[in-house]
Amino acid sequence: MSTTISRRTFITGATAAGVALAAGSYFTWNGQNIPNSVKTGDVTYDVLIIGSGGAGMRAALAAAENKDLKVAVMTKLVPTRSASTMAQGGMNGVTGVTDPADSVESHMFDTIKGGDYLCDQDAVEYFAQRAGENIFEMDFMGYPYNRQEDGSFHQRKMGGSSHPRASYFEDRAGHAMVHALFEQCLKHNIDFISECQMLEISMDGDKLNGVIAMDMRSGNLLGVAAKTIIIATGGYGRVYWIRTSNPYSSTGDGIVAGMNIGIPFKDPEMVQFHPTGLSANGVLLSESSRAEGALLINKDGERFMGKYAPEKLELATRDIVARAIATEMLEGRGVGEGIHAGVYMDFRHIPPERIDERLGQVRDLAQRFAGVDIKKEMVPIAPTCHYSMGGLEMADFHTGASRVPGVFVAGECSCVSVHGANRLGANSLSEVLVFGHTAGDGAAAYAKEHKYEGSQEKMAQDCAKWQDKFKEVTTRDRSAGKTVPEIRDAMVNTMWYKVGVFREETQLQEAARELSALEKEYEHCYVGDTSHVYNTAFEQYVELGNLLQVSHSIVQGAIARKESRGGHSRRDYPQRDDVNFLKHTLIFKQDGGYRTEYKDVVITKYQPKERKY
Amino acid sequence: MDVTLNVHRFVEGKKWVQKYKIPVTVGMTVLEALTVVKEKQDPTLSFTCSCRSSICGACAVRVNGNAELSCEILVENLLKRYDTDTLTIEPLGNFRVIRDLIVDWDPKYARLKKIKPAMEPKPEFSAETGCKQSPEEFNKFKKYAGCILCGSCVSECNKNTLNEEDFLDPFVFVKAERLVADSRDRDPKAHLQAVQDAGLWRCFNCQECTAKCPKGLDPAGAIEKLKEATFKMGLSQGVGGKHAKAIYDDISESGMLDESKLNIKSEGFIMAGMRLPMALRLMNTGKMNPLESHPVNPDIKTIQAVVKAAEKEAE
Repeated sequence: MSTTISRRTFITGATAAGVALAAGSYFTWNGQNIPNSVKTGDVTYDVLIIGSGGAGMRAALAAAENKDLKVAVMTKLVPTRSASTMAQGGMNGVTGVTDPADSVESHMFDTIKGGDYLCDQDAVEYFAQRAGENIFEMDFMGYPYNRQEDGSFHQRKMGGSSHPRASYFEDRAGHAMVHALFEQCLKHNIDFISECQMLEISMDGDKLNGVIAMDMRSGNLLGVAAKTIIIATGGYGRVYWIRTSNPYSSTGDGIVAGMNIGIPFKDPEMVQFHPTGLSANGVLLSESSRAEGALLINKDGERFMGKYAPEKLELATRDIVARAIATEMLEGRGVGEGIHAGVYMDFRHIPPERIDERLGQVRDLAQRFAGVDIKKEMVPIAPTCHYSMGGLEMADFHTGASRVPGVFVAGECSCVSVHGANRLGANSLSEVLVFGHTAGDGAAAYAKEHKYEGSQEKMAQDCAKWQDKFKEVTTRDRSAGKTVPEIRDAMVNTMWYKVGVFREETQLQEAARELSALEKEYEHCYVGDTSHVYNTAFEQYVELGNLLQVSHSIVQGAIARKESRGGHSRRDYPQRDDVNFLKHTLIFKQDGGYRTEYKDVVITKYQPKERKY
Repeated sequence: MDVTLNVHRFVEGKKWVQKYKIPVTVGMTVLEALTVVKEKQDPTLSFTCSCRSSICGACAVRVNGNAELSCEILVENLLKRYDTDTLTIEPLGNFRVIRDLIVDWDPKYARLKKIKPAMEPKPEFSAETGCKQSPEEFNKFKKYAGCILCGSCVSECNKNTLNEEDFLDPFVFVKAERLVADSRDRDPKAHLQAVQDAGLWRCFNCQECTAKCPKGLDPAGAIEKLKEATFKMGLSQGVGGKHAKAIYDDISESGMLDESKLNIKSEGFIMAGMRLPMALRLMNTGKMNPLESHPVNPDIKTIQAVVKAAEKEAE
């Protein structure tokens, strides 16, 4: 079924500089992180998945059910280090095991309302119909679900859900999912191409060649030929650097690679901020803090939530509380300096035994990272970027296909759109299962029907281009320009202060100008490590380039959307505007710039209404 | 306050220790300290990290000889613990080093594969309707499902340091116990047999893994549970199991070890016979006397009661 490209074709097609590269042995290989056939260029994958989180591994298992297909998962770390492992709450899906009254319609409506009506309702229906079956399937794959008395997994109720429908493992739902999927991948002998940083998707005109990646261990450039690619690289919370709960690896690599081959970035302005991250480092203090009665206090000692949500106070929804905190900080009633500014969260009136019993982890985190004992002192907190609703446009949610033939998308890096303008808790893990599964099936079906038509020559040229670039970038003199972290910090200042919880026209325009200037500085920045072995300085340089492009897209989308909806709050346009903006933003990368288009939201069953909780 | 970091560097075959001095800030973790060095002083210093909230397992390193998750351990606390202003940072032990603090996980995954690392559901379960399991059955293995594959447990494992060829990493045993104790699995014996074949009985019982696990999972305890399971499930245990059985018999019958027979009971006559030179040396120095009749401990009644109580608790 798979087309094998011989090493000979590969070499003869290569340019002079690329000869050794194409054979994959410019430097000595360092270990078995890559299958030998990839090293020699003797393999063409039917399905090549980029990213080893929940979506990537679920997709791999689905595709590998077709025994005659060659399937591999590429990751820049090793499997199980992904953002999926950090998910705590659970995965939503209607199963009826804990609450027989739950229904697909209810899950669908909760998701659409939570998403402030920017969800495509046909896609949400597809999602809600399949989330339950994926949860049962994970049980069969060995997911260690917490159980109820009748032996079924137990489901709990998460924010914004009308019924208990989130299955879980303790407070580590994502960790358990990733490890269960990894166990299955080991069992089915899925090829992993580990510790390889994707650099670009190689195309020859409109034909897909494969993926260009750097083997971090050896520094060799790989051109991995593939009939289909599934981009499953996760989110991009690191555009806010420490003001995010995301891992260091969430740098939007796949989104940029996808944009660069013509896939639009859909709804990039829709970023979810969680209200209570530690000011010190953005790590989350769980929502249970406020549920247990913690108060939010400004610099003047005032409990300020009464001004923003007179009835629900601290227990208002995430977006409302995040905006309240941001307003206090903007109006000079915050505490702390710069990126570590925030307001106080006060636990001191809560009985100490209750803190020990129910908020042990919160107390531990505050003590560890902020040096504060919450029983005795108030802890500084601030909103922290938590999730990216936007992502690469999924053109067909029945297959996971993007608009580029052979390229599929799944997980947080994609935009289906199921989450619309705001995601509900426990919908992200079910999304990666449902659409990872779908994209795996979709890519497999495509691979069976199509021949490999990519160009080995072009791929070898792309490898050579990156090899030259690596050399040029890593050997720059210290006087060449700013360092990678310096440019990143400047980017974060722009993004956090001008494209954060609140946005407005003048600041967004400034942000766009500042990002353009940073993109220029980036072209001659200083990397400072010349080694070809595990050059993390170069990897961070690549990631920063991706973060800059993602940032620019967010700003572009935020400028275009002159309304406030879900995660996107414009101070100059505080109302939702269904007449003009009940539509998706599509940002295209074009001729070195960014172009904006729109696409209608699909409305089937539920007409937009005001969103009240 | 400043901290000096002595970091063990390894780049393209060259090895050296490099000194960095940085100011300690409130809440500074070892990972943040390394990041400050990389961003402000030396971009060539290399390490891996991802989640910075102790769940992804990417950032474990050795600090002053002990494995730690660098994202969760505070510099300040370490300086107090060791009463020093200097920390030595090395890559995890018992791993091949690729560069600086970055280690090679491939051989570890290969060993994980040895134990059939996925649950095989019982025939009455299906992908469409899932599985059934009582909360009590779930509780039997849930602790071991918390492993994050950070590698801390193997860093100071003495058995792996001596010879890793005929043994597994402690986290592999944790994964095995998680599967063997999972009531949904159709054939726990298959995992158990694989673990036993791969060296279950060769653990030194040094407890380093249990001391180092940042998640408190007690890998050494998992190894003990697996050994128990070989008896319960009627696997023939080989030398290790016979040795344990011989000790058990001696203790429950006489309250004292019969060293002259222990070896024969464990290894059998022929293998034990090969150890004759050592036996002669022991006799020569008076440490063993095969002619002496095996004494009975005067407190035998108490000892038997202890054994009985322990057995009851294990059930």
